[in-house]
Amino acid sequence: MSYLIQQTINALGWGSVIGLLGAGYTMTFGIIGLVNFAHGEVMMVGGFFAFFLISLLNLPFWVGAIASLAGAILTGVLVERICFKPVREAGMITLFITSLGASIVIKNLAIIFFGDQLNPIEIPSFMQGVYLVGDLIFFKKTILILTITLIIGITLSLFVKKTKLGVAMRSISYDSQMSQTMGINTEKVIIFTFVISSALCGICGIYWSILFGAISSSMGTYAVVAAFITSVVGGIGNITGALVTGYILAIGGSLFAAFLPPELVGMKPLFLWIVFFAILLFKPSGLFRANIK
Amino acid sequence: MNIQPNTNLLEIHHVSAGYGKLSVIHDINIKIQSGQIVALLGSNGLGKTTILRTIIGQTKLIEGKILFDGKDITTEKTHLRAAKGISYCPEGRAIFGNLSCRENLQAGGYLLDSNKDFQKNLEWVYSLFPILKEREHQIAESLSGGEQEMLAISRALMSNPKLMLLDEPSLGLAPQIVQRIALTLREINTSGVSVLLVEQNAHLALELASYGYLMKKGTVTLEGSTQELANNDFVKKVYLGAH
Repeated sequence: MSYLIQQTINALGWGSVIGLLGAGYTMTFGIIGLVNFAHGEVMMVGGFFAFFLISLLNLPFWVGAIASLAGAILTGVLVERICFKPVREAGMITLFITSLGASIVIKNLAIIFFGDQLNPIEIPSFMQGVYLVGDLIFFKKTILILTITLIIGITLSLFVKKTKLGVAMRSISYDSQMSQTMGINTEKVIIFTFVISSALCGICGIYWSILFGAISSSMGTYAVVAAFITSVVGGIGNITGALVTGYILAIGGSLFAAFLPPELVGMKPLFLWIVFFAILLFKPSGLFRANIK
Repeated sequence: MNIQPNTNLLEIHHVSAGYGKLSVIHDINIKIQSGQIVALLGSNGLGKTTILRTIIGQTKLIEGKILFDGKDITTEKTHLRAAKGISYCPEGRAIFGNLSCRENLQAGGYLLDSNKDFQKNLEWVYSLFPILKEREHQIAESLSGGEQEMLAISRALMSNPKLMLLDEPSLGLAPQIVQRIALTLREINTSGVSVLLVEQNAHLALELASYGYLMKKGTVTLEGSTQELANNDFVKKVYLGAH
């Protein structure tokens, strides 16, 4: 039993990553119907900003963290203005292909200039080490990430539910044209959504460095698939839904791997796809209420 | 500079509009005075909805000019036209199904400056349609057709509009509900909101409005006070006879 609990605890860090990544993903998916393949690269660029400042310029970790946020927001908004705005009316498939193109370009530019190796980032000593509670091991970094995610989650939830802007985001997700007739400047709200979504990517870049101690040019490739699945399973456009779903998928994946025979442990990523197709078959609108028509 | 006082709230001059290069409506001239309810009559598919969509800015204007409250809004974006005091209640209600009743009204009141204004308007629409207060936190998707229509109208009132564009409010609704909505529309108009009403139900339209335009094949073929229209032989035969 305590083995399963330990597995669950171990999954909380990764759950925070794909939860936040999925939350940002579902925001832009809901509001303009964008399946954003460049979402992972926005996180990667954030991670690289942190890497440059922390590992190459030896600046304090918190400076790198802010740089990660800034770099991610800059990248996300630039990609929106250059790649997505011109094809906004062209339909989901065109938007998706455009995002794929952006992803390929950004990732390969990074590989060309910096290679695809692991770039280590040293984390502050207070984040290292473990707490022992009986049989269970809690990594300090996991607790830190969980706490930050909880705060972000509550803030996002309050924002979406209680503020005028949050209502505007959700109404645009459902019917953008109708929202304009109420005086909502949909263009401004869409840009704002991309800023928040990209900021969440930046935070995930920091989480990644804390959890794995290194970032790489292709770190976004697998993560974006997890973010996509998280957002669909959670209910498209539902931000807190995606956050919760991230944890469900990470913990589920851990427990799934725990029950696999040793030679099949590499099949762990299959879990995401099993859940994805199960949801599409049995509850395509997602676990929580979607915000699209 | 024209110094003559302009009493017309809305003026549409020689407007043609449509999709791409194809115009659905041609050479439309409509005037609405402050305080009026004006009706657009005619069978389906003749461009009545297109006129409303052109006024609010959703359908591209090919030719002509639109003046609202003395200002030229011909090329203005939808959200800016809304800010000038035009609101839209489309055919089929188009409520935000993912939001609660109250959140729909919050969206409608997006332009309001203070929470006090919002609360005041919220109380007003709840007094017009008490059922909405009962269903306050219910998801709008789950409301009945009549309740959704009431919600759509209320949502369009939240911004204190000068002009409400109302498209087929009676569509698919039972006669008792239509009558209730009609009475409330009169009350809304008395409180100062002008209405441009598109209605296939000619009886209802002529009952509510003081002036009407009859449309056929994308143009206006007849106009006059609703009294004149009700006594017109053609209108009587084609639009009032069947009811």
